[in-house]
Amino acid sequence: MTTHRRAAVLGGNRIPFARQFGPYAEASNQDMLTAALEGLVARHGLAGERLGEVVAGAVIKHSRDFNLTREAVLGSSLSPDTPAYDVQQACGTGLEAAVLVANKIALGQADSGIAGGVDSASDAPIVVPERLRRKLLRLNRAKTAAERAKAAVTIRPTDLGVQVPANTEPRTGMSMGQHMALTAERWGVTREAQDELALASHQNLAAAYDAGFFDDLMTPYLGLTRDQNLRADTTIEKLGSLRTVFGDGPGATMTAGNSTPLTDGASAVLLGSQEWAEEHGLKPLAWFVDGETAAVDYVSGDEGLLMAPAYAVPRMLARQGLTLQDFDLYEIHEAFAATVLSTMKAWEDEEFCRERLGLDAPLGSIDRDTLNVTGSSLAAGHPFAATGGRILATLAKLLHEKGSGARGLVSICAAGGQGVVAILEAA
Amino acid sequence: MTTETLPSLPTIGPLLARAALTARGRRGSEVPGRTLRVENVRVDRHRLAAYQRLTGYAVSDAVPQPYPWVLAFAVQCELMTRPDFPLALPGMVHLENRVTTHRTLDAADPLTLSVTAGSLQPHRRGRTLDVRLEAQVGEDLVWECDSVYLSRGHGTDDAPRGDTAPDAPAGPATVVWRLPDDLGREYAAVSGDVNPIHLHPLAARAMGFRRHIAHGMWTYARTLAALGRTSLGPSTSRVWFTKPVFLPSSVELVRATTAGGDVAALRSRKDPSTTHLVLSLEA
Repeated sequence: MTTHRRAAVLGGNRIPFARQFGPYAEASNQDMLTAALEGLVARHGLAGERLGEVVAGAVIKHSRDFNLTREAVLGSSLSPDTPAYDVQQACGTGLEAAVLVANKIALGQADSGIAGGVDSASDAPIVVPERLRRKLLRLNRAKTAAERAKAAVTIRPTDLGVQVPANTEPRTGMSMGQHMALTAERWGVTREAQDELALASHQNLAAAYDAGFFDDLMTPYLGLTRDQNLRADTTIEKLGSLRTVFGDGPGATMTAGNSTPLTDGASAVLLGSQEWAEEHGLKPLAWFVDGETAAVDYVSGDEGLLMAPAYAVPRMLARQGLTLQDFDLYEIHEAFAATVLSTMKAWEDEEFCRERLGLDAPLGSIDRDTLNVTGSSLAAGHPFAATGGRILATLAKLLHEKGSGARGLVSICAAGGQGVVAILEAA
Repeated sequence: MTTETLPSLPTIGPLLARAALTARGRRGSEVPGRTLRVENVRVDRHRLAAYQRLTGYAVSDAVPQPYPWVLAFAVQCELMTRPDFPLALPGMVHLENRVTTHRTLDAADPLTLSVTAGSLQPHRRGRTLDVRLEAQVGEDLVWECDSVYLSRGHGTDDAPRGDTAPDAPAGPATVVWRLPDDLGREYAAVSGDVNPIHLHPLAARAMGFRRHIAHGMWTYARTLAALGRTSLGPSTSRVWFTKPVFLPSSVELVRATTAGGDVAALRSRKDPSTTHLVLSLEA
């Protein structure tokens, strides 16, 4: 099935991630995406270059940003002849964008492209309540003075107000954290295990910064040079002292320390064919081998909201003839520490693997020393659509350092009970 | 020539008030040879972001080419309100500006700004004054700017003309901007230039204008921003302010690329024969 050519990850760039209402409070999605894009363009000498396409998106988006990515391209040094489009698949946006670009390259429909994502939890769109919106539209449609008067008098003082977007599933009314708490309980994920994972994330990210790992993956922005959420000096005691914020009663395990905070940031990844890379003096870091998406029925309560990657990965493994242990590195997005732990428990669970995944044997466990080795979202933060690009660029560089043939697995859960996963292989 | 180092950026409001109160008594044909400088000027990122949003730049660390002029405006006011300064600041008209950026300015760079008043020259409609602004980072000159202002008064009909503006590009508009009535107030808030001629029709009428007008430095910045990222890097832009932009109004951008770089003009949407500014940009 690999008759088509391969797409390579050639490099990546992001701006440091900032906490909500932090240094990026006044930056828009377009500002941040432009900054991430421009840094990537500068580092790879792409000024004036016409790329095959730029694909990116944001989860929380203003209606005026219908062409967000194209606008960012026009604000960058790329040739204005570079087409662009927006995608949106919740927290899977960035990785899905990369799947799309890689597929076009593999099919020969494009030679190069940039996949990215951006999100601002600070510069959020504010909308009027639904009831008021409908009444205002009716007022706008009214043709005669009498109709206008009739429409106007229906607007009551109690209709007035503003709404900011909430991190809530529209169909269940529950926040993502509340959903995750149900799954964590189902899999018996302990507070201690979550705090340990969070601690490792901070320690790994801090060590990676100290080693200069991100020097060629990041452009400082608005005075930030490191992810603002990183707590290099946090301890298991400090994490253990935080009160729980999701889940009920004494069984609650999820805290602000083992859940990702709301964050602002942007990322972008450069992909291309081998020929295009050679023509531009660029070296492939890793091949984009495969991608898979999955969705689960979380609405009926049949499955946990963030468990779709647990289904996507085995399907992709089967297609590639690989086992879960055939990877040198694993990047499992830390929406919550409990997400990573529940997913790994599910893969180790014989009953889940037999009944839910239809497998003869469990997928088994993964070596924790190969998981999120330069930290992940718990430490870096998680500007929804920007996480995919952060992980892809990080993993591609890590695999390249390991040497040709090294394999890496990416797993990202997304709102709406969805998941996007991918395989990279060192070039 | 004396150089005086101010302890910090002066506050503009009181200076403009002093300028208004002392406008009548100013006379003379000699500009004192004086440079005012302020060291360690830090860019306030909130003000910069507000400026970037209002002038069409992306919010980023790259300081727009006209911004050091905005930072140094208070120093210019200070220089022009000294008792021995011969011209009245109120009513002075910005005619031309030439800015060279030697390297991309980062918002984190601590700047040393200096302002030097140059000589007076005869002009058809009064006298012109050259003012030189410089920005240094450490010992490096990173940005320099020569402004020409007109002090309206008895003109000299046969006064030599300075460099004339290049012809405004012909052709269709590439961008249309609707400039709102409160643009001057908005820009005053982010730039500190609270000159009354930009704020309200009545205030402008008192100064001899039909209505309030847009800040020239806004129209300049908005036009530069529309030309892309070139002016964020090493480059030189020149602008000639030819006709004021009354508020509110609609203006359109016309541009052309020549061998020497970009040429752009801002003209009235209602009357395209009215050119508000002509700008050239080369990298």
